[in-house]
This record gives sequence, structure tokens and C-alpha cells, in this order.
Amino acid sequence: MLNQKKNWLTGVFFTLVSLTFVVVFILALIVGRYDISIGNFFKMLFGQSGYEMERSIVMNLRLPRTIIAALTGLALSVSGLLYQETFQNKLVSPDLLGVSSGAGVGAALAIVLGLSSVIVSFFAFGFGVLTVLATMFVARAFQNKSSMVLTLSGIIVGGCMGAILSFIKYLADAETTLASITFWLMGSFEHSVMDDVYVLLPIVAICSIVILAISYRVNIVALGREEAQTRGINYRAYRTLIIIVATLLTASSVAFAGTISWIGLVVPHIVRLMVGRDTKKTIPMCMLFGATFMVIADIISRVFTAAEIPLSAVTGFFGTIIFVVLLFVRRDTIREND
Amino acid sequence: MKMIDVKELSFRYQKKGKLVLDRLNFSCEKGTVNVLIGLNGSGKTTLIKTIAGLLENYQGEVFIDGENLRGLSIKERAKKMAYVAQRSNAVDDFPVLDYLLFGTANKMNFYQSPKEEDKKRVLDCAKQFGITHLLDKKLGEISGGERQIVSICASIVQDTNLVILDEPTSALDIKNQHAVLSIIKKIAKEQGKTFILSSHNPNHALYLSSNVFLLRSGTIVAQGQAEDIINIEELKTVYGEDICYSVELPYKEISFMD
Repeated sequence: MLNQKKNWLTGVFFTLVSLTFVVVFILALIVGRYDISIGNFFKMLFGQSGYEMERSIVMNLRLPRTIIAALTGLALSVSGLLYQETFQNKLVSPDLLGVSSGAGVGAALAIVLGLSSVIVSFFAFGFGVLTVLATMFVARAFQNKSSMVLTLSGIIVGGCMGAILSFIKYLADAETTLASITFWLMGSFEHSVMDDVYVLLPIVAICSIVILAISYRVNIVALGREEAQTRGINYRAYRTLIIIVATLLTASSVAFAGTISWIGLVVPHIVRLMVGRDTKKTIPMCMLFGATFMVIADIISRVFTAAEIPLSAVTGFFGTIIFVVLLFVRRDTIREND
Repeated sequence: MKMIDVKELSFRYQKKGKLVLDRLNFSCEKGTVNVLIGLNGSGKTTLIKTIAGLLENYQGEVFIDGENLRGLSIKERAKKMAYVAQRSNAVDDFPVLDYLLFGTANKMNFYQSPKEEDKKRVLDCAKQFGITHLLDKKLGEISGGERQIVSICASIVQDTNLVILDEPTSALDIKNQHAVLSIIKKIAKEQGKTFILSSHNPNHALYLSSNVFLLRSGTIVAQGQAEDIINIEELKTVYGEDICYSVELPYKEISFMD
């Protein structure tokens, strides 16, 4: 009886969030500094002539950045959820193993070297992946396969990357490159183009298919090694697969949008409140909700002021408010261990 | 027919550390209940985890249903045996029903999730253990004892011929201890499953009419039928001189009738 009610509620939430996503996506194409009315938007959409300006703005500027925003939101939210489940810690974010700090170093280095924006993205992606590999290498050096050692290695390597980033910023020209690095680190979809979509979309699509295929098993991985293994799940193989997928998702998102805080931490919590604990439901819901959340954040970042507000400022502001509300609502379920 | 066959099994946690299991040789027949008894630190949990395939780098050989443990994949192991730890690490917000359903994963492909027949099997097992009223609750909302019963129920859901339980009654009150032991006895008799479990209470071995393995410092000092092994002379070799029969006590010990 209770299960039927839960399934019904889950269905309602999925429908609501899907509808919201469609509405918000269309809204993101309509609103902006250049005013396009809804009527003109749909006339342009159905190919009527005389709306070349609108078509150009929508197709060349707003559509790529909105798709990138949705993909980034999806990727960061799912990565956060996967890390939280795998490491049995609800307070970890996609940067647990140092991917964002590594990507930051890569991007900063490329900016200081005066390389093009494509190379900046490539460097960010490459350094993000290399940092996670370094984390896994350090964990291996400890000859201890526990998740705790892996997490500690992430803190060590992430900290090291933070120090390198500070050093690069110190060396950067205060007038030009330092500003670029700082702005990149705050995250933005301002320079997103359709070519970015062609690179990001396949990565996110493949990773999403892999994770959706094993979505039930993520539940069992979340039980920890002993319990997962006794139920026939190769814990270490699944943990490695999950880390690879989460790293690719995070590194590719950060490469095209810069570092965006809070979304990977907050969205999984909201989603669990909506559909419960089963990863077969939370993973697809995280994808939908994360995409919607990020498109909304992008709209806010470009609508309210003449200059764009950095994305991290928007997600950080709303993320902290939502997180405080969540903690307040769930304060009774948080117990002291001592 | 042997369900477990252990040959020259030794184990140490650190390369140059102390031997926790020292060249053990024993076997357990199919359809029997086997109880490991010994002091804390005698190697019971290590032995149980080694048989369950959770500890690598052991020396010697372990055969499960005639097949070498080393040659079995994790999935093949999970089809042959279920294991319950002393304490489950499962996150508190898993609903009991979902947790029990995880026991059906050993027979699924990687992309599958439980079907209606799996849910039916879980409900049957929950009825058998008397825990249907807990199914909608979360693991964090039930007591430690109830949680242990749920874990044991999950191992039966797994539908394996061998069930390995590490101190299954350690968190239970005496009523629930009796309930769990009687279920083990009943399942072993009716379904022909083989059980190997560790216990701190020698009376449990007597109640289960089990085979007993007395462990001391990683070696088996005595083995045989509970009626033959559970006596003061044998137990003194493990527990020391002060152990005695309850009839010698100045008070009446409490127990449960079947």
C-alpha cells in the first residue's frame, strides 16, 4: 500500500520536474538582454521569415549555452550523487578526488600561456582527469584499498593542486591573465558555442547510459565492500567504474563551464527528499533536476544585471539557502555518533 | 558430501604479523549446522570472513561445494553462500524492504532490478522471520536486534546452500536469540541448507545439535558433535578453570522452551 503511494508520488515528481525543465529551457531561449516576445519566438521557431535577428541570437548564443547549462547541471548533480553513495558520505561533492582543483590548474596554466579557449577547455579536462589518476596512484602507494584512504588521497592531491593554482595566480599578470583565471574559476556559460555542445553531449550521453544501466547496483555499492561483495557485486570494479564516470562527467563540465560550486552537493539531497533512497529513481531524477536547476541558475546569472553574475555566486547563494532549509527540515534525522 | 573443506588454512593480517589462523584443517558436511566457539581474538571472525571470500592473501585452500574458493568469481560465490557480518554497515535510510531485496541481486544481470517474484520471495522470508511489520520502516528506525534479524533474513533471501553468520545473536535479547536459533534449526532441517556460525554461547551449539569447532589462538583444539564437545573438560581448555555447569550455580539459569 505504502509502496504504491510512493510510486505514485515518484511519478508525480518526475512529471512535474520534466514539465518544469521544458518550460525553463524554452524560457532560457526567450529571456535575455535582447528582448524576444513569446509570439516572435514561436514564429521564428516555426520558420517564419523576418526574424533573422531573433533566430541568430537564439541559435548561436542562447541555445548552445542553455544546452551546456543543462548538460553541466546533469553531470555535476549525478557525479555528486554517485560520490555520496559510493563513499557513504552525504557531504561530499564531485570534487572529492580533486577533479575540479586539477581542472582549475589546467585552465589557469593554459590562460597564463596565452592559449586559445578551446585549448583552455582541453587543458582543464586533461588536468582534471590526471588529478584523479594521481589521487588513485597516491592511494595505491598506501597499499590500502579502503575508501577512507582514497578520500584522504583526494584531500592531499586536491590540496596540492590548490597550492599550484595559487602559485600560477601569483605569477599571472594582475591586469590581464589573473582576471581571466579568476573569472574562469567562478564559472560561466557566456562563451559557450555549438562546438562545445558537440564535444560535451556525447561524453555526458555515454556516461549517463552507463550509469542508468547500473543504477540499481549503485544501491548495493552504497552498502560498502563486504555487504556488496556477499551479494555478488564486485565492489572494487564498480567503484572504479563509478569514479571513471563521475570524473569524466565532472572534468568535461568544468572544462566548458568553469568550476561551479554547490550543485553537486545540494541537488542529490533535494532529490532524495523527493523520491527516496533508491538509486534507480534518484539517478534519473538527479539528471532532470540538476539540468533544470542549472538552467534556472544561468537565467538568473544573465537576466538581473547588465553584466553577468558568475555562476558560482548564483549556485552558491541559492545552494546555501536550500542546504540550510534542508538541514533544518531534517535536523531530527541527524544523530550524533558519540 | 562436503560443503566446506578447509586445508592447511593460515592467515595473518600483516605480512610479518602474528598468525591469526594457524594451519587449520576441517570440513563441514552438507545440510549440517556448524558452530565456531572460542574466546575473543581466537580467530572466529577471521575464519568466517576467509570462508566467505572476504579476506584475500590466505595460505592453504578452501573448497566450497567441491570448488576452490580462489577460482570462484564474486558472483559465483554469492550464488553459493550468503554472509552476515556482526554488524551491518548499511546506511540508516535504506527501507527494510529494499535492503532485503538486495539479497536477490546475486541472480541478476548488471542492468536488472528486482521483479515481482523477487518481492514475493522477500515477503515469504519476512513472514518466516516475523518481520513483515518492519518492511516499510527504515533501517535506522528499527532496534539493533531487529536489524540483526533483518540481516539474517536477507541472507536467507539470497537463496544459497551455505549460510555464514558471524555472531548472529550478539545484539539480541534472549527471546530474539531463541527466535533466531529456532529459525536456523528449522531452515537447516526443512531446506537442507548448511550453516556455519560463530557464537559466544556454548548452549547455542547444544540447542542447535550442531557440529562444534573449539578455537584457541587460531587453531582448532576440539571438534565433534555438540553433545560430545560441550562439556566442562573440553571448555576448560578454552575458557579456563572457572567454567561450570549451571546446576552448580547458587541460582537458576533462565532459558527458553521450544
